[in-house]
Amino acid sequence: MTAFFKREFLSYFRSPVGYVAIALFSFLSGFIFYSQFASGSVDIASEVISLRSFFVIIVPIITMGLLSEDKKRGTDILYYTTPVSLFNVVIGKALAAFALYAVMFVNVIIHIIVTLICGGKFGVGSVGAVIVFFFMAFMFISIGLFASAITDNQIISAIVAFIFILISQLLSTIAQYVGTAVISILGIMKIKSAETVGRAFNSAISWLDPFEKTKDFRLGLFSVSALFFLFSIGLLFLYFTFRILEKKRWSQA
Amino acid sequence: MIEINNLVKRYGDKKAVKGISFTVNDGEVLGFLGPNGAGKTTTMNIITGYLSSTSGTVKVNGHDILEEPELAKKEIGYLPENPPLYNDMTVKDYLNFICDLKGVAKEKRKSQLESIVAMVKISDVYYRLIGNLSKGYKQRVGIAQALVGNPSILILDEPTVGLDPSQIIEIRRLIKALSKNHSVIISSHILSEIQEIADRVVIINRGKIAAIDTITDLSKRLSGQSKVLLTFIGPVNDAVAKIRTVKGVSSAISRVANNKFSQMEITIPANDTAETRIAIFNLMAREGWPILELRSLDPSLEEIFLNITSGKGGVKS
Repeated sequence: MTAFFKREFLSYFRSPVGYVAIALFSFLSGFIFYSQFASGSVDIASEVISLRSFFVIIVPIITMGLLSEDKKRGTDILYYTTPVSLFNVVIGKALAAFALYAVMFVNVIIHIIVTLICGGKFGVGSVGAVIVFFFMAFMFISIGLFASAITDNQIISAIVAFIFILISQLLSTIAQYVGTAVISILGIMKIKSAETVGRAFNSAISWLDPFEKTKDFRLGLFSVSALFFLFSIGLLFLYFTFRILEKKRWSQA
Repeated sequence: MIEINNLVKRYGDKKAVKGISFTVNDGEVLGFLGPNGAGKTTTMNIITGYLSSTSGTVKVNGHDILEEPELAKKEIGYLPENPPLYNDMTVKDYLNFICDLKGVAKEKRKSQLESIVAMVKISDVYYRLIGNLSKGYKQRVGIAQALVGNPSILILDEPTVGLDPSQIIEIRRLIKALSKNHSVIISSHILSEIQEIADRVVIINRGKIAAIDTITDLSKRLSGQSKVLLTFIGPVNDAVAKIRTVKGVSSAISRVANNKFSQMEITIPANDTAETRIAIFNLMAREGWPILELRSLDPSLEEIFLNITSGKGGVKS
């Protein structure tokens, strides 16, 4: 596990990828923090929550090459012909991307320190926001890794990850649209329970929304089940990734 | 030691490997030959665990590659056709990464890498990026990668392809040196290379074994006859006529005749002990035609290969 973790983490800094991701994150977090700071009311929780909107850009950048590049260059043969297990390959690569996220997050820690020095607050709501941030990072990185496993083209992998994350960010809107559409279609067909079915669709899709699930954290209301949900989705995609790699052994021509 | 038993690989409806069985003994160099698409790389990929077979077993020093993959893979060093190199790493970082993958203990790592680097002669590029190395050096780093972890078996898939002649000779020399301490399976298109290095040859064609044998036995079994080349000074036509009358000689063909020397190719029984050649010598001595050279002509591997893969004279073993 440590072998691929080390290689991938260091390779972020052998190419522009790591620097680009860190620079982008520093710029965004710095900009948000500065505008809060300038207006005189710093809220770390809202900074961290705003930063979650940029998973959609940063995660695809750091996960797109993790597995697809190996496939393209033929280095994936090392997964299969050395004593290292596929499970360790997947976990190692996911952790490398996660560690890069942790490095980026140093920015926010600096902001927290500055806030505390200047007499601001780092309350329980902010702690909640940070916890949610890392669970979401894990989940989206798993999705990105999965997108990297299904192709040998970095661009396609990035686009797939982008679409997955974008959909998850728009789930509440999508839920509304689907609900309304179902109601109107069933209404045209003169089905009585159109309203109920439509609302059921709406709430079923909203149930999947990771942002909706964790919105109370910033109020200090932590929910283990919500974290468990994010973590399970992450594990699920890691498992899919593992299966895709394993399948290659049986099906490739 | 590798035991391969009735290996089958199916891709959909297509069978790429149709029941291959052979063994590689300890310390043996086995040449693996076959036309493109015969199933060489597929077979090698199955032996190393990169692919799974549809049926059949591979045992590496007694460990089944599917049941005890970690133990089996520890015994194998694999150089695929495209060496699995990371261009963004230095040779040093890369080899250390491979040590991590193969679980080489920290305290053994330094001495092991030192000896490998000296053996494959990459010490002058040790701190350079792999992406900047020449193809010959990349191939050496690929071999170094296979040697990490001290495997007892090396599997090399076309190790000299794409190299220039001097690099080919050096890699060949390296493989010969390695074969002293390792069992080696080597596939190649360059038949003379196999002839030079390998103890035994497996020829596969369309997913099946066409022949397994040593090169000398293979040629004898194919023809039942062996050929000798005679170089001498004297009139070639007279000599050919006289040689044809010698007991045991089934044919004699003149090859070269110039004012310096004459040469002919004589076919004698493959199991000839010495009698036929003694008779030839006596004849030449009686006639006063000095012999400059009398040597046996083994058919080249090219001839054997073409014979077998075109379906003529295939030998089952």
